[in-house]
Amino acid sequence: MNRRSFMSWGTAGVAALCSAVGVSLGAVGRFLTPSVFYEPPQTFKIGKPADFPFGSPTFLVDEKIFVFRHREKGFAVASAVCTHLGCTVKYFQSDQDFHCPCHGSIYSANGTVLHGPAPRPLNWFEITLAPDGQLRVDKNKIVPPTYRLMV
Amino acid sequence: MNLIREIWRSIVRRDPLSTDKGKSELVFLNVWLHIHPAKVKKENIKFRYSFYLGFITFFLFLILLTTGIALMFYYRPYPSVAYQDMKDLQFAVFMGPFLRNMHRWAAQAMVLCVFLHMCRVFYTGSYKKPRQFNWVIGVMLLLLTLGLSFTGYLLPWDQLAYWAITVGTNIGSYAPLVGGRLRELLLGGHTVGEAALIRFYVLHVAILPSLVILLTIVHFWRVRKDGGLSRPLWKLKPRKTEALVTIGAPAEVAPLHVAAASPDKTYGLMEVVTGKPIFETVTPEEEEDTVFSYPYAFVREAVALMATVTTVMTVSLFFNAPLEEMANPAITPNPAKAPWYFLGLQELVSHSALLGGVVIPALMVIALLAIPYMDRNPSRRPRDRKWALWVFTFFVVANVALIIIGTFFRGPGWAWVPPWVHVVARPE
Repeated sequence: MNRRSFMSWGTAGVAALCSAVGVSLGAVGRFLTPSVFYEPPQTFKIGKPADFPFGSPTFLVDEKIFVFRHREKGFAVASAVCTHLGCTVKYFQSDQDFHCPCHGSIYSANGTVLHGPAPRPLNWFEITLAPDGQLRVDKNKIVPPTYRLMV
Repeated sequence: MNLIREIWRSIVRRDPLSTDKGKSELVFLNVWLHIHPAKVKKENIKFRYSFYLGFITFFLFLILLTTGIALMFYYRPYPSVAYQDMKDLQFAVFMGPFLRNMHRWAAQAMVLCVFLHMCRVFYTGSYKKPRQFNWVIGVMLLLLTLGLSFTGYLLPWDQLAYWAITVGTNIGSYAPLVGGRLRELLLGGHTVGEAALIRFYVLHVAILPSLVILLTIVHFWRVRKDGGLSRPLWKLKPRKTEALVTIGAPAEVAPLHVAAASPDKTYGLMEVVTGKPIFETVTPEEEEDTVFSYPYAFVREAVALMATVTTVMTVSLFFNAPLEEMANPAITPNPAKAPWYFLGLQELVSHSALLGGVVIPALMVIALLAIPYMDRNPSRRPRDRKWALWVFTFFVVANVALIIIGTFFRGPGWAWVPPWVHVVARPE
């Protein structure tokens, strides 16, 4: 074997080895990524408008959302997940703000950050009226805090 | 009687321990002991030099393996039953609380001992040539220890577990580009749920312990190949210049011309050539400075093992491992605190998730890994390395201070609350 063929075969060999390793790593990564997520759906119905009182928001435990119902302004849905590290925030009716227990972030009633390490305002989700008269929330659709559903 | 003696001789093939040959053979004819040299330096087996921190860490790992396997008999990694199994371990399983306590306290002690061991190695300058890469392996073992601790934290599936892992994995998701993807891979989903629990379980009981065992073998092997523990500073001598002599060689054989691989190394390359004896090459003064591993080193190791086990058992008799309410994704406890050794990180994260949770820890790990390659100063004497000692001490003090702040000075909402102030929760 002369130098030229050694180099070309060597390069081809190294390239083949690298691609094999790359493909294997990719396969491992793909294997570890679930094809199906058995998680709660992002779009769900939460009940009839009449189920929600005026005034202080209703906290839905499983969905981790606050449902606000204002007398004149209608429905709005805020995420209860702190944008800092995912802890569940609490709403304080007395001061009309959200507090995160983990690192002390405080959000105003419209979700803007007043204090603490939270990098973004709380998310507000789209809420619509389904044909069956139930309220439907879509967590995939982020809306501005001024968004309201009038019923 | 002859048969019994024959059986015994077939198992134990060394000479009697009353002879030097027997003491040597005990070491190198035994697969478990032959990681030791037959003879060790007197100074290196002194407690005041190493505080046996490496050994103690290893013994704690053995306790963790044993108790961990025992706990696996009663634990099922599925959200609806995991917490129930913890309660069973606490109240229904014979010795369950004791085993769980041992596992928990040994884990915490291991984190502490790995850290102290690292400090000892730094302060004695033992990461310097030729031991640079063993320091790197040590740092990897520190990270694996923290990884084991983190993955084990979720398994009880109580409030503490759920929220520490929610916060911990969210910190990771701040890493640029790959953060969100990494979190999804780790959790097997988008929230901490059943997929996350089984993944953490597999990491905790199979993958990470295997990596720790593999790296520990390399770590020990390299210590041995570099001539055992580094020489205590008070025993440091100028580099050898005199010719090496070959002990035990017939007079007519010329001395071997071999260079010691490391100034700490007592034993040179053993020449294994057909027809020639195996020689050990040491200087006469070094020969005087050594003792047989049996019994001097082994007795000390056995005492360290017994002291470690006894301490962990005693603590486990009197202090119970915490178990809070069952994990509840809707209610975050206030304050939600990570285990104490992550509280420094949590304190940093409370100021900025990206900077405190990703950038600073990543830089710290890189700096730790790079220490032996950045520190070009060959001297191990403290007076020659003031700058390095100050920088490392600052790093240690800063970490300890952050942990103390996170542990004792943070209350509900992560507000600054000194430990002597009692805070009443605010009404909703």
